[in-house]
Amino acid sequence: MNQADVSKLMSRLKIKYSPVKRKLKNSEGPVGRAKKIQKTLTALIKHERIELNFNRADETRGYVERLISDAIRYGDCHRATMELADYWLLEKQLVHKLFKVLVPRFENCPVSYTRMYRAPRPCPGNHFERAVLELRGNPYPSLLPDTISNRNLIHNVLLDEAHKEYRAQKYAEIARKLEAADENVAKSSGDSDGPESSGLETPEEIKASTEAQVASEVQPSGEKVARPSKDVQ
Amino acid sequence: MIFNQLKKMALPNAARKLLLGVKSSFSLFQTTANAEYRYLSSVSNPKGLLSLEKEEENKVAGHKNVVPLECRFVYPEFLPDPRLDHRNSLREKLERMDMMNRRNHIDIPEFYVGSVLAVSSSNPHAPEKVTRFVGICIQRGGCGLRAFFIIRNVVDHQGVEMFYEMYSPVIQKIEVLRLEKRLDNELLYLRDALPEYSTFPLDMEPEYLPEGSAIPVNPIKVKLKPRPWLERWERQELKGVQDLGLPKRFYERAAAVAKPWEKYDLMAEYRESIPAEEQEEIFAEVYSQLHQLEVTRKIMKRKRTFVKPKKMG
Repeated sequence: MNQADVSKLMSRLKIKYSPVKRKLKNSEGPVGRAKKIQKTLTALIKHERIELNFNRADETRGYVERLISDAIRYGDCHRATMELADYWLLEKQLVHKLFKVLVPRFENCPVSYTRMYRAPRPCPGNHFERAVLELRGNPYPSLLPDTISNRNLIHNVLLDEAHKEYRAQKYAEIARKLEAADENVAKSSGDSDGPESSGLETPEEIKASTEAQVASEVQPSGEKVARPSKDVQ
Repeated sequence: MIFNQLKKMALPNAARKLLLGVKSSFSLFQTTANAEYRYLSSVSNPKGLLSLEKEEENKVAGHKNVVPLECRFVYPEFLPDPRLDHRNSLREKLERMDMMNRRNHIDIPEFYVGSVLAVSSSNPHAPEKVTRFVGICIQRGGCGLRAFFIIRNVVDHQGVEMFYEMYSPVIQKIEVLRLEKRLDNELLYLRDALPEYSTFPLDMEPEYLPEGSAIPVNPIKVKLKPRPWLERWERQELKGVQDLGLPKRFYERAAAVAKPWEKYDLMAEYRESIPAEEQEEIFAEVYSQLHQLEVTRKIMKRKRTFVKPKKMG
């Protein structure tokens, strides 16, 4: 039952974090833990994508997000934030990178600034889980496979067929409506003194409306959309 | 994260487009009372920190209730316990409702550690069934309905401390006799200080501050009694005490056991506090009522201090 410490305002973390901090077993104790996190944090800011053990990655992730969010909130003219950046970043040119490159990159980012993936372990090896920790908007190609471009992948094959089937259905429907309209037109022209068939559409109107409907609903299949990475503006 | 897992899956074109669209509005991850989502922070639109001037403008200009984040100093007990195990949004909402109900019945004034208070609480064994105690607030803590403060005074050369729960129905009246702050957040060192620093007359008159003035900070430096003390005051960064005058070995040992890396521990800091967005949400719920009570209190104060001019001759 502690009162929250309100002396400093901090932004909400947009990642999952554990309620208890990991000790990151090392010979120097808490000092060594801080040093490990310093090294990992520096490496992440420097290389923007690193592969390491899961626990260390997860622990550092919180610190990275907090540092970037503080840099965004307070900027580089704020003494306390500059001291923090100076402490955590062991290479001093990265302090410049943090405030001049990463802050404008992540200023309007509504999601987390980092991404973490589980990485494969070499098979005969130790049992430590591996992870890849990267900053969003990094210059490397995406780690996730491209499942859109290759139309020969099974899910894309099935989707393309589903699209074709849907189009066929829709065209059959249009054809039926056109036939019905033609019949109505024939009937109404037959009883020439009858009231105007206001409820029934002309064949041209039906065609236009249904084509518009089909065009909007059915996605163009087999298109290779050159989509720029929408992750970060 | 669920989003990452979904992305890894081979998704159809339309669903992927939808997912990219939904990325910015993470309504899936709103914190609920459900224990499963307790450790997941929800995504919010990051707004820039409103500068003080802008906040003043918003207060004055619009009828819209814009909550100044300075509420967190005046009403710190409205913020919940930062420990994730103890968080429950439903319970917190109900507690806030109960706190507002209590504040509607009794005026709990704004005070800080270092202010001199007079508290009247009901006591079945007192002749008038009311006990009034005057003293300086040395500590303030707790959250929600369990918010407490400790008052210290020296009565008949005996140091006395009273522990009061702010929202207890036993408390009948809280008066602030002197509203001020000190250089430290906790004045527990007054227990080891000379008694004159903790002595306040029991019939002390309230001291009024000019309206709209900032809370004064008393820069007094207290003199401690010679050792032994209740705590190792040389190991705490106390600003409100005079030079302790200890031999050098004490300071050397303090430097040896010091943990300077804790100052930079960003995650420990985060786990001990409530983020700004959440503070805004919490105070947005209660601010309008609190502001109303403040306004009423000011009006009542003016009415009380008004002295009707007497006719001469």
